[in-house]
Amino acid sequence: MERYYKIAGLTVVMDTFGVTQERAEKYQCVPTDTVDMRVTSNWETVKDKHPGYDANTGEYMSTAANFYRQLLDFEGMMLHSSTVVVDGFAYCFTADSGTGKSTHTGLWLQEFGERAYILNDDKPALRREDGVWYAYGTPWSGKHDISVDERVPLGGIACLSRAAENTIRPFSGTAAIGAIFKQLNRPRSPEYRMKLLELLDKLIREVPVWQLCCNMEPEAARVAYAAMSNKGKDLEG
Amino acid sequence: MKLKEGFVLREVAGDIVVIPSGDTLDLNMMITLNETGRFLWTRLEAGAEKQELVQALTQEYEVSAQDAEQHVENFVAKLNENGLLA
Repeated sequence: MERYYKIAGLTVVMDTFGVTQERAEKYQCVPTDTVDMRVTSNWETVKDKHPGYDANTGEYMSTAANFYRQLLDFEGMMLHSSTVVVDGFAYCFTADSGTGKSTHTGLWLQEFGERAYILNDDKPALRREDGVWYAYGTPWSGKHDISVDERVPLGGIACLSRAAENTIRPFSGTAAIGAIFKQLNRPRSPEYRMKLLELLDKLIREVPVWQLCCNMEPEAARVAYAAMSNKGKDLEG
Repeated sequence: MKLKEGFVLREVAGDIVVIPSGDTLDLNMMITLNETGRFLWTRLEAGAEKQELVQALTQEYEVSAQDAEQHVENFVAKLNENGLLA
């Protein structure tokens, strides 16, 4: 059955089932005349390509890929990251699966208590609206379905890697582009690949990008926050 | 000599980035080029042969034919190594 949703500020029509439908429930809205996007799914194909997937996983991956590809038409994309909000700004921590993204944002929750919450634990939408970047919770939010139906100004992106000591520094150039590029949704068609590069160009020019090397101690959250919330400047004098 | 089809080239935050598209190439790949690299790449896309690349280089940059030839050889070898030629 077709249902209407408001996701990443867009009116989305989707006919889905199982886990995807459950997770999308809180994004559901009343039907409207204007529709921005119709999400289609080919979960059978996805399932066939990945023998380990069941129908639910296939549907989840397929709808995610379709939604985030179309999002490129609205200056938006997916960044594979755990995204935490503190004091009204969203901070994305991106890395390969298993690096410790959620572990790190978990430290932020401990450190900042009620000031902090997870916006999306795996696949937030990042959207540029009137020249300002925002992060959105979406139904596609990883294993534990941690997402909030909200739009939050994007405060920064950190590419995370494990280290014994906690350090953070501005990240730019080819290494930064490569690190972020591989965590984006990457459609196949040349047309959408070009849109992706155009948007990545704006993202990197307009949003602070950091290289965070961190351990799993609470200090990691303090070090990252000090720099990313712009208070690091004071410390450096 | 021909590049494989489906590459997309664009400047990203000051870097010249090339990524593949379509169904046959490794979509995880990302290549960055310097200015000369872009110069040669766009000519290769237009179907230039080695000798034309050498000529184009000597016309555009202050470089001897010998150096230009060496440069083209290295560039083409690198493309080949990375499986970018058709």
